[in-house]
Amino acid sequence: MSLVLSDVTVTLGRGDTRTTVFAGLDAAFAPGHLTALAGPSGSGKSTLLAVAGALLRPDRGSVVLGDRDLAALSDAERARERREHIGYMFQSGNLLSALTSVEQLLAAAYIAGHKPSRLKKRAAEALEEVGLGQRLRHRPDQLSGGERQRVALARALFLGPELLLIDEPTAAVDRGQAAMLVEVIAERARAQGCVAVVATHDPVVIAAADEVVNPAGERVSV
Amino acid sequence: MYLALRELRAARGRFLLMGSVVMLVAALVGIVSGFTAGLGNDTVSALRALPATHLVFSADAKSDQFNRSLVGADVLDAWRAEPGVEAAPLGVAITRGTTNRGVEIDLAAFGVEPGSFVAPDPDSGQPVGTTPGGIVVSRKLADKGVHVGDMLTIDRLGTAVRVDGITGSASYGHVPAAYVPLDVWTRLRFGIPGADPNATLPRQFSAVAVRASGSAALPIDRLDAAKGTHTISRGASFAAAPGYSGERVTMNSIQVFLYLIAPLVVGAFFAVWTVQRGPELALLRAMGASRPRLLWITAVQAAIVVAAGAVAGGAVAAGVGLLLGSAVPFSLPPLTLVATLGGVAALGLAGTAITLRRVTAPDPLTMLGAHR
Repeated sequence: MSLVLSDVTVTLGRGDTRTTVFAGLDAAFAPGHLTALAGPSGSGKSTLLAVAGALLRPDRGSVVLGDRDLAALSDAERARERREHIGYMFQSGNLLSALTSVEQLLAAAYIAGHKPSRLKKRAAEALEEVGLGQRLRHRPDQLSGGERQRVALARALFLGPELLLIDEPTAAVDRGQAAMLVEVIAERARAQGCVAVVATHDPVVIAAADEVVNPAGERVSV
Repeated sequence: MYLALRELRAARGRFLLMGSVVMLVAALVGIVSGFTAGLGNDTVSALRALPATHLVFSADAKSDQFNRSLVGADVLDAWRAEPGVEAAPLGVAITRGTTNRGVEIDLAAFGVEPGSFVAPDPDSGQPVGTTPGGIVVSRKLADKGVHVGDMLTIDRLGTAVRVDGITGSASYGHVPAAYVPLDVWTRLRFGIPGADPNATLPRQFSAVAVRASGSAALPIDRLDAAKGTHTISRGASFAAAPGYSGERVTMNSIQVFLYLIAPLVVGAFFAVWTVQRGPELALLRAMGASRPRLLWITAVQAAIVVAAGAVAGGAVAAGVGLLLGSAVPFSLPPLTLVATLGGVAALGLAGTAITLRRVTAPDPLTMLGAHR
């Protein structure tokens, strides 16, 4: 399953603040390896993630994930795509404060229509895979920044998404935790075999990626 | 349910506080309902127990009829002459007396013709007038220590009557009812202390109790015009009981305010709760949670808090009824309690419904860096 954006145009704002972020953008992302979407702040990295992840419908163009054009779907259909086929890991505020680490994963399953009670063991295993076997029953306020991001990663990958989108994963963690986190992200994204795109301007993340593109969809040599 | 229950668990302090407020509102509504019904019974249960469809008063008595109205035998005869109508004289007067065993009581004396349809069937003892001047008293007087066979001396004239029987817990104007023969009632009402006890007293009474047979409505206006009377239904006559209308307005006003408070309090809580959850609702939307699912989560939380609060409030109201029921007029039958609490719960949930639109308002795009 690949992700292909064709002739994508996105305009944000209204009136005097109206800005064209992309005009006729073409980009393609292959499964099985990690792509870093690099560029300075305000260059459109997050907007590209939003379009690719069915959070934002482009004004024009197509966003094809597998055989489905996400740009042509209704709001409800795009929500369904997000819960069934797309995993997200945001910069911060990823976790639900009321839930333990295991429950964060089970909540994603619940949203996607699965019975959480049947997936407890699998959720625990998924957390062990990101090195959080000892943090299963901890709530977000009992975890470090890096641990919270790893829980978010485990949740994003829990239901086997076709597309994994990660927004500035190291922005809220210290350097030591960032390196460890990036290593886990790269390892899990490759192991899962999904299309994995990470928006970042962190050299640590860029160095760990299989390829780097800019928000214009052009391959960048690092 | 999964997320709803876990959020409840995590924020149990806040939800417990909210549930406590709902409980207090529900308990207050239940207690006020109990007092409303209890006071109502205490005021008009004797009228409610009358097997009459209408009560005929003198034409000049438009309010407080049981005090103001006096109708004569001619009116009684005129109504008795109507086809399809049973009519019986009814006197009402509040007085007091002392039994031969020293029990002091207030009583609402209902003057009735022995054997007429308004004379009550006693639960124990004999009917009204079985012995000369014999009376039947309400169970409430029996609870105060009046027994069958007691001699009761009624104040002012010192009229002595024998208690022949005991009937249900009827009262009038917060005073237990006693059914006395009409001639005794006439002496109580018109007798003058020190006057010749054999003097002729007017043959008048407070009202004529009418029982219409058949389902056809009585042509009240026509009959009143012809007979010079003012006739009202038995239900409408409750307003003529002392204090009844004022009590109803007061208690119902309190209930209305409580019913208004319930949705406002619950709605305000969930409005704040929803605002606090805004970022997490945006996260859930970003993860693909549908709008109906987010609404369901909040609705489940509201239903649990409101239902638990209402049930706990009902238990408090029922407990208050058990504790105070014998000391004060309080009546809260299970069906009334369930209906009352159902009302509180429904209005509480209605209050939540006002805030539900906000649940789906958070924009999932706010989760992304460029929009944070």
